[in-house]
Amino acid sequence: MTETQVHPRTVPLREVERELLRQMKHLQGEDERPIQRARMANLVIYCSRQERAVQLYDEIPEVAAVHPARVLLLLANEDSPSTELKATVLVRPLRNDGRGFGFCEQVTLEVGRGSVHHLPFAARALLIGDLPTNLWWAAPIPPPFAGPILHDLSECVQQIVYDSLGWTDPARAVAAAATWMDRVERAEKSGRWRVASDVNWRRLKYWRRMLTQALEGAEDRGLFDRIGEIRVEHGPQAVVQAWMLMSWLTGQLGWKVRAGQVEPGVEMAWSCHNATGEPLVRIVRREEGPHEIQRIRIGFHVDGRDSLLDLFVQDGRRLAARVGGVEEEARTMTIPPHSPAELVGRQLSDRERDPVFRASMGVAQVMARSLLE
Amino acid sequence: MPDDFVSARHAEPDVSKSLLPQSCQLIIFGATGDLSWRKLLPAVYNLNIDGVLPSHFAVVGFGLPAEGQIAGDADDYIRQRAKDGIRRFSRQPLDEDHWADFARALFLVPGSFNDARAYALLKAKIDAVDQQFGIPGSHVFYLAVPPTLIGTCVEHLKTAGLISDPNEPRAFTRVIVEKPIGRDLNSAVDIMQVVGACFAESQTYRIDHYLGKETVQNLLVLRFANSIFEPLWNQKYIDHIQITVAEEEGLAQYDATTGEMLATRAGYYEGIGALRDMVQNHMLQVLCLVAMEPPWSLKPDVVRDAKAGVLNCLRLMTSTEVEKNVLRAQYIEGDINGNRVPGYRKEVRESFEVMKRPLPSESVHSTTETFVAMKLFIDNWRWAGVPFYLRTGKRLPKRASEVAIQFKDVPQILFNDHPDVPLEPTVLSLRVQPEEGLAMRIASKLPGPKVRIYPVKMEFNYSSSFGGTTPEAYERLILDVMAGDATLFMRRDAVEAAWRFVMPILDHWERVRVRDLPEYQCGTWGPVEADRIILPDGRQWRTL
Repeated sequence: MTETQVHPRTVPLREVERELLRQMKHLQGEDERPIQRARMANLVIYCSRQERAVQLYDEIPEVAAVHPARVLLLLANEDSPSTELKATVLVRPLRNDGRGFGFCEQVTLEVGRGSVHHLPFAARALLIGDLPTNLWWAAPIPPPFAGPILHDLSECVQQIVYDSLGWTDPARAVAAAATWMDRVERAEKSGRWRVASDVNWRRLKYWRRMLTQALEGAEDRGLFDRIGEIRVEHGPQAVVQAWMLMSWLTGQLGWKVRAGQVEPGVEMAWSCHNATGEPLVRIVRREEGPHEIQRIRIGFHVDGRDSLLDLFVQDGRRLAARVGGVEEEARTMTIPPHSPAELVGRQLSDRERDPVFRASMGVAQVMARSLLE
Repeated sequence: MPDDFVSARHAEPDVSKSLLPQSCQLIIFGATGDLSWRKLLPAVYNLNIDGVLPSHFAVVGFGLPAEGQIAGDADDYIRQRAKDGIRRFSRQPLDEDHWADFARALFLVPGSFNDARAYALLKAKIDAVDQQFGIPGSHVFYLAVPPTLIGTCVEHLKTAGLISDPNEPRAFTRVIVEKPIGRDLNSAVDIMQVVGACFAESQTYRIDHYLGKETVQNLLVLRFANSIFEPLWNQKYIDHIQITVAEEEGLAQYDATTGEMLATRAGYYEGIGALRDMVQNHMLQVLCLVAMEPPWSLKPDVVRDAKAGVLNCLRLMTSTEVEKNVLRAQYIEGDINGNRVPGYRKEVRESFEVMKRPLPSESVHSTTETFVAMKLFIDNWRWAGVPFYLRTGKRLPKRASEVAIQFKDVPQILFNDHPDVPLEPTVLSLRVQPEEGLAMRIASKLPGPKVRIYPVKMEFNYSSSFGGTTPEAYERLILDVMAGDATLFMRRDAVEAAWRFVMPILDHWERVRVRDLPEYQCGTWGPVEADRIILPDGRQWRTL
């Protein structure tokens, strides 16, 4: 009889490998075929709150289903004074369809706030050699401000995945992010390849595609220089997402940022410079709604008349684009639903440096500095 | 080749016919010591459980415990110690029925290695045990003693009449000599001469337990039983080879709960260091199996000829080359398994306190290396220009040993033309421990419309493929001695050749006499300075 699940078990750190094997054999039952470990990568997840760890615990199978990995969940519990490092092992079956077994290996390492320094050492001992190693930075503090723990953890990783959704003090964080990313990725000069990736950028994939399609041909008709204002509206916590989309679009349009101003919690705006004038970019926060971009309005002034390109979320599952004053059906694009865990899972196999992302981060940094000056 | 080696081929004509262990007594010198407690007695116990020991067999220990005296019955003492070692270290759990069988054939003769009377007592005991267990007078002497005592032991054995003629057809005497054999070339030659004066080469088994590990033996199978590897096994296709022996343990072992020091190797290790302890023997022996030419048969001396051929081709280093290609370092305080652990110098001081021995003056600020990294070359046609990177250290993040063969990059066209994301090279890695097995990293296309390359790892793991627990190296090697198969043991000329390679490094270190070595934190992969050996070549140390 084959068991379909085992229970997490806390063991001394040196017993982790043995316990992983024991749980796998237990799950395999009497089947004598070789155990098939599903692992294409190492995934180290760092978080600093118990509630977040619980959430991640539930999300891990979803990540592993997209990209099988040995997962090390590191919890530096801010609320715990414990000085002891606790290792909990759990093996979950990925497949048991009679053709063989696939197992997802998870080790949770928990320490109290005063013993965070143990974590990089413990993680180092549990990584599997020869596999790409990813760090998912799941702590609320933005990576540029994370300090030594991120530095130590990233020493042996090839990709740092973070999510800028919900960053507080976005101007400072965005201003620091591009510089931090440059520093992280320059480690390749020491012979080690490393890339930093923002899950939030991945969420923008369909917005960018929709904007590209909607503006197709506009440059040839000289319309880029006729844009007077771009206004993007976003739900709570999605300010950085909106900002990244605007920095990308501003860069694509070839505009230069001149000055910015911020009305905290309400709006950020920048005046830019293009061939014919000084268009405005505005990021406006909605009080309620999903934590994502809700609408983009691009205002043109052509032949003495104002017109509007309106892009918006329709039914919560597709993007729509409509040109104001034109009686025709909105052009739509379905957005496949992606949970945060699935986005991270997809990012793990996407290890190439995205030059468009880097260029957009560069523009975002200029925009951020204009707000901070 | 010395005549002795040639005659060795004919000395034991039965070897090639039968590899079954023959009835004998195993006499362990140093039976009360650390090696016996941790490895040898558990190994024999496991052989007993597996039912592969000869039908007439017994173990007699010889030696004194560190505290000098045994209170009570000596046999009870060694049985208790063996039971404790089996509980802690055996690959198979203690089973009372098997234990009872094992214990009844386990004895101890307490005595000092340089006391002639103790050898008389030992001889009497051996004779009695032969009688009791129907053993035909065949004896294996396992010298688990420091190199300085080997000469004393074998001479006393000879004087006591415990060594039979190598051509004696009814019973054999064999001796197992533990590494390290000497602390330099001269002392190694001295030891081998003194052993050679008492035992023929065919009776001498110089053990290096690494060679008993399944993966190491599998190297021969991998190379010569699979048609795809051997054609690629040369300088045309291989970029470089890395051999890593990483130890998690430091000098001492501590009780996990109380933090009390349980055992220490300081008495042996301090002043010896990683180069002598690991590189000169284990790593060079593994290197031989990786790099040797195909032997024309699996007869012990044919394989050992092929291995010696590698050692004789090692490029000896000049002082300048030692500076450039070899790095030594010492661990400082760090973190292992979630615990703070002390640095080497502190461990040395505490160890000598525990051993109740005065700390030698040169150990106060010890410069014994606990980490060595080096680049070496084998000057023959097969390996011309291929660097071999060797790295070993104590207190590294995990216990892991492997041989990694990195193949040359594909040309920078097609899938490797993106300078921003270089393709991971193809690597064949053979894990010696802890999970014995092998893995091959290759590039594969990720599913999807775009061509995106991702490194994947094809793995073979002994325990998950074959089930059960893989026998410990000592089990295999002890059985081999009983069977008279010397394939996995070091021949005298190989030991000398290995020392000849290491001596210029030791001599250079002796000349330059540094005050402090580069340091690395316990729980890290060694000092940053180790990168200077490999990074300028456009390569990097592997993360295991």
